[in-house]
Amino acid sequence: MTKTFTIALLGNPNCGKSSLFNQLTGLRQKVGNFPGVTVDKKVGKLVLGNRQEVSIIDFPGTYSFYPTSIDERIVVQSLSNPNDENYPDAVVYVADVTKLEKHLLLLTQLRDLGLPLVLALNMSDVAEQQGLEVSTELLRKGLGVPVVMLSGRTGAGVDDLKRLLEEMIAKPGSYKASSPFFSMSGQEKALADAARAIVPGANTYQGLLIAHHYEWLPFLSEAQRALLKDTSEEHGFVSLSSQVGETMQRFDRFTPVVKSALKSGDSEEKGITERLDAVLTHRFFGPLIFFGLMLLVFQAIFAWAGTPMEWIETFFTFVGDQVREILPAGWFTDLLTDGIIAGLGGVLVFIPQITILFLLIAILEEVGYMARAAFMFDQVMQSFGLNGRSIVALVSGGACAIPAIMSTRTIGNWKERLITILVTPFISCSARIPVYTVLVGFVVPPRTVLGIFNMQGLAFMGLYLLGIVSALGAAYIFKLILKTREQSFLMLELPEYRVPVVRNVGLTVWEKVQSFVVEAGKIILGVSIILWFLASYGPPGEMAAAETEALSAAEQLQLDETETDNLVASRKIEASFAGHIGKAVEPVIRPLGYDWKIGIALITSFAAREVFVGTMATIYSIGSADDEFTVRERMAQERNPLTGEPVYNLATALSLLLFYVFAMQCMSTVAVVKRETKSWKWPAIQFAFMTGLAYLSALLAYQLLS
Amino acid sequence: MVATVGQQNELNQAKPGLKGEVSHFSNERIGSKLMAMGVLPGSRIEYIRKAPFGGGCYVKVDNVLLGLRKAEAASIVLK
Repeated sequence: MTKTFTIALLGNPNCGKSSLFNQLTGLRQKVGNFPGVTVDKKVGKLVLGNRQEVSIIDFPGTYSFYPTSIDERIVVQSLSNPNDENYPDAVVYVADVTKLEKHLLLLTQLRDLGLPLVLALNMSDVAEQQGLEVSTELLRKGLGVPVVMLSGRTGAGVDDLKRLLEEMIAKPGSYKASSPFFSMSGQEKALADAARAIVPGANTYQGLLIAHHYEWLPFLSEAQRALLKDTSEEHGFVSLSSQVGETMQRFDRFTPVVKSALKSGDSEEKGITERLDAVLTHRFFGPLIFFGLMLLVFQAIFAWAGTPMEWIETFFTFVGDQVREILPAGWFTDLLTDGIIAGLGGVLVFIPQITILFLLIAILEEVGYMARAAFMFDQVMQSFGLNGRSIVALVSGGACAIPAIMSTRTIGNWKERLITILVTPFISCSARIPVYTVLVGFVVPPRTVLGIFNMQGLAFMGLYLLGIVSALGAAYIFKLILKTREQSFLMLELPEYRVPVVRNVGLTVWEKVQSFVVEAGKIILGVSIILWFLASYGPPGEMAAAETEALSAAEQLQLDETETDNLVASRKIEASFAGHIGKAVEPVIRPLGYDWKIGIALITSFAAREVFVGTMATIYSIGSADDEFTVRERMAQERNPLTGEPVYNLATALSLLLFYVFAMQCMSTVAVVKRETKSWKWPAIQFAFMTGLAYLSALLAYQLLS
Repeated sequence: MVATVGQQNELNQAKPGLKGEVSHFSNERIGSKLMAMGVLPGSRIEYIRKAPFGGGCYVKVDNVLLGLRKAEAASIVLK
């Protein structure tokens, strides 16, 4: 069997690598993980002119083989080990041609690995606008690698790259550098050779990299690590000075090449980016604009999502009705309509809101604004034990904690990264929107105040603020508890503002919404089916007994047919397995104002918050004979059987809202935190303090208000 | 006024608007990371503005814009 030819796409952050990746692979890409970590690994298929299919791995943006973050470590660990499963057959190095003298360090390092290599000079369109003249011939000679000019944005030159790749695959040997770019000192060479003896298969430069990074490289055995430590001490090797020396030498060698090959259209005037930043990163206006933008984002979610949400709701009601009419009545139809369709509809209705949120965040990222936000808030974030880059996680946490937690991998400092991971789930994610939407109406009326503000909108805003405040508060507490001596960095490149490429934004949103729907859908489908079973069946005899009892009670009270059906249905659910479970937890949640039905919903929503709505839909539609009402209307009708008061009054609803603001109710987040922190300790701590805070605040709210 | 002996010309002590050239780094660890991003001895550097909340500095090195913390700016010694 022949292995698919694998090409690694590498380059500095902001070199436009993702645009090129999207150009090359389009929708033929999938996201996986690098082994052991959750750093996204995007792999795509490219079909070349000769029908040959090659796979392309989009590696995280990296400045050099001396990593500052997990993201960059991935690159080093995959490329310093020829046996790594992601070790490529060839490399396409992407460099921003308008910043070429800054972008070639990693190229010359890759060149020394001895892999076939092509240099793609990206942003040819921008270079043209700037009047930049490039001699690819001089670059090819000076750097010893084939060069192609292209634009990931417009697609110009991409075919030239493909042709070059065809040639390279046919004759890989002639695309390898004949001699290394960096000439090592005698000490470095001796150490690299010693390292190669310990780690067979590595070339000389890989040997040197292993000597630099043996402490953390995951593919080394403990025995190899100990040997490498001894060897490097024997050689009196100082990693930092060797690194500085190597970097200087490489820059010294390629800078003259770049200078000779590039003629700039010498425009010394300030670019549009600098003029925009004079306002957008201004000491006073910058933060104000940031908060204004965030307000707009959330306004947009509620303003634009309403109509499509109504369509989806109508669609699911229609499907449920049709299924009921077509299929014969029975347990299977009940499972389909009450369990699966009700559960799925309860969640899929939120696709418009989630899409809008992901879309706006993707645009802010793509334009280059998020780097500014990270820069502006770095000082504030530091006082909470976070990093400026944490703002990216906190903002994306508004969409979903999972990608948000994964975005923390750009934070180099472990303590700052850990705290960001621990507090991000406090930010109200899109999965809370369904719960808030259903409950907020019980707390505040849909009235307009001060002419423009919708009371419910303000209440929503309050819930989001509560999430933000608790995230920062928790971060501050962790800052005091956790200790580290590791140095932390901001050092952030602020890329030029660019008009977003529709293709890039579209692919990001598509990928994220799709995975939300699939992941949430799987959980909801599973939970719905289990729940439906638990609510429809009970311990032997009990369901039948409950039915007989309810019927005789109805006869005594002389109820009409509908009332009788409702009474029977609600008595039966009480006798079911779900009823038993709900009753078992009732003593714990009674002080928060919840009954056993809410108890069932609380238990199921530990799988995922949004399941709350689906569970409510299932419980109340099994528990009642008619199917015309929405979940909210059903909840409003729900009465306490003892007092006859509505179950969902101000106290209960507020208590539930607080519980959902704070509680850690998402299996997927727990799993991601476990993977990112490599232990169960942190997700366990996170779960305990979030859920503890949820319980206490709900308790306080209910006891004070009722 | 007596000039302090050994006083260095560090970027964070400059005023926004200053243009200069990087001489060397006073902190090797920070320096090595700056160098990987293309901030090298000899690079032209312009201190454009202070960050909000009195945090860091917005600088332009050759034609690249960077956001730096105070400590990071402090390690850049100008000619």
